[in-house]
Amino acid sequence: MNFEAIKAIYFFEMARMRRTLLQSVVSPVLSTSLYFIVFGAAIGSRIEEIDGVGYGSFIVPGLMMLTLLQNSISNASFGIYFPKFVGTIYEVLSAPISFVEIVLGYVGAAATKSLILGAIILATAHLFVPIEIRHPFWMVFFLVATAVTFSLFGFIIGIWADNFEKLQLIPLLVVTPLVFLGGSFYSIQMLPEFWQKVTLANPVLYLISGFRWSFYETADVSVEVSIAMIILFLVLCIGLVWWIFRTGYKLKT
Amino acid sequence: MQPAISVSQLSKVYDSGFQALHAVDLDIMNGEILALLGPNGAGKTTLISIICGIVNPTGGTVRVQGHDIVTDFRAARQLIGLVPQELHVETFETVWDTVSYSRGLFGKKPNPPLIERILKDLSLWEKKDSRILELSGGMKRRVMIAKALAHEPRILFLDEPTAGVDVELRKDMWQLVRGLREGGVTIILTTHYIEEAEEIADRVGVINKGRLILVEEKEELMRKLGKKQLTLELNAALDSLPEALARYDLDLEQGGERIVYRYDTQAERTGIGSLLADLNRAGISIKDLATEQSSLEDIFVTLVEETR
Repeated sequence: MNFEAIKAIYFFEMARMRRTLLQSVVSPVLSTSLYFIVFGAAIGSRIEEIDGVGYGSFIVPGLMMLTLLQNSISNASFGIYFPKFVGTIYEVLSAPISFVEIVLGYVGAAATKSLILGAIILATAHLFVPIEIRHPFWMVFFLVATAVTFSLFGFIIGIWADNFEKLQLIPLLVVTPLVFLGGSFYSIQMLPEFWQKVTLANPVLYLISGFRWSFYETADVSVEVSIAMIILFLVLCIGLVWWIFRTGYKLKT
Repeated sequence: MQPAISVSQLSKVYDSGFQALHAVDLDIMNGEILALLGPNGAGKTTLISIICGIVNPTGGTVRVQGHDIVTDFRAARQLIGLVPQELHVETFETVWDTVSYSRGLFGKKPNPPLIERILKDLSLWEKKDSRILELSGGMKRRVMIAKALAHEPRILFLDEPTAGVDVELRKDMWQLVRGLREGGVTIILTTHYIEEAEEIADRVGVINKGRLILVEEKEELMRKLGKKQLTLELNAALDSLPEALARYDLDLEQGGERIVYRYDTQAERTGIGSLLADLNRAGISIKDLATEQSSLEDIFVTLVEETR
């Protein structure tokens, strides 16, 4: 294992976050605060408690998931796409490092950034509404598993994309709708029965539901199913990344 | 002695069906400077990219100090530094960070004094805290070289290192290359400037259309393929060459004031003596004479044209 190389990639990527502090940290915090003002204060005051949890508190796990998913994907996809775009990927490919180490460096850094953001949002939310974490272990589990899984997914997108449009395509057209429709801002019990069934096909629902359970013990699907699903996504992404590196897909000719 | 790099039956067919390399065999010796010459698209960069691990070979093997580049890639790549042809740089990083990063990528522990020395050798020390986007093209080229040297490679690939580089940097670069060679580093460079290969290389390889046409000691190559020419300036212009000189390969130039004789230095007899005697007999008087040897460039052009 080439630990120096993992370290080099990891800290190089983390340095990018420091350099783009405004974009990386301030903007997600700002947008989260806006969600709170709009959904929490303005609209939330007209919505009853859900399973004994005030609406403002109810959406905190959903908001964290929203930010976590979007940022994991964008950080990781950009992290690997940029060297491809400017050509510096040659150096990574010619270095004495295995693909596992490349993934550990890039995905590790992307996931770390998302986790930092998650923590910042939790702290920001705490200023607006009361928050209770009943199962801290599972909360951290969902947080870390989601950050890693979606950083892997972002990494895959970054390798697949050969222009900036493709880089934005999946996050914008697939992930954002899934997160919004996956119960970030509502319990699916508030939907008509038909749409509840449809929502069960949305993978993000399981993440948000499980994550919310770790806060308030209220969930749309059972927590065991949520845990099983997040592990399934993680395995799927690892499998896909493994295939990419085995075949050199879009990296080596 | 085991070669620094041993390329055997290496071939590459790109997905487009283009065959960039045809069963190339090449041994590169420890501590030598090998210049690879060839027209654009000849396969030079493909060959280098395969050895460095950027392109997958279609067939054949490459060993670096005995380490297979596929099965034992860590040991093989550790030894190699690459300065690619294009200026690929991390635009927003500082010079210091990007060079230190390169060292880390190759698995070496940080060594600030070494990075400092490399940057000073390349006249980059003053710019160490500048972001790369603020640098000129020549400075960026220096950064690429610094990155390639940051992990103390034993073998250095320079792909067209002097393309678009000013005289001063070119001079610095060759000085650096000589210094590295003195330290035992094996250097492989490709260039379009044939006079550079002629000046600096120990051996020259010529690639054309994916085939290695020849690899030869530079001196040997010049000697073997070198044609010499004898130029005779005449006192009086001739309208045509006399019959008596028909057996020589002569050209009349400059409106008949100059005779050019081409001969092979390897031949048993160069024929100069009898030519001069025949000229004398024909009553042609000579004002001046000069001989000159064909350059590597002439040799190269001839070779490439022969294999076309």
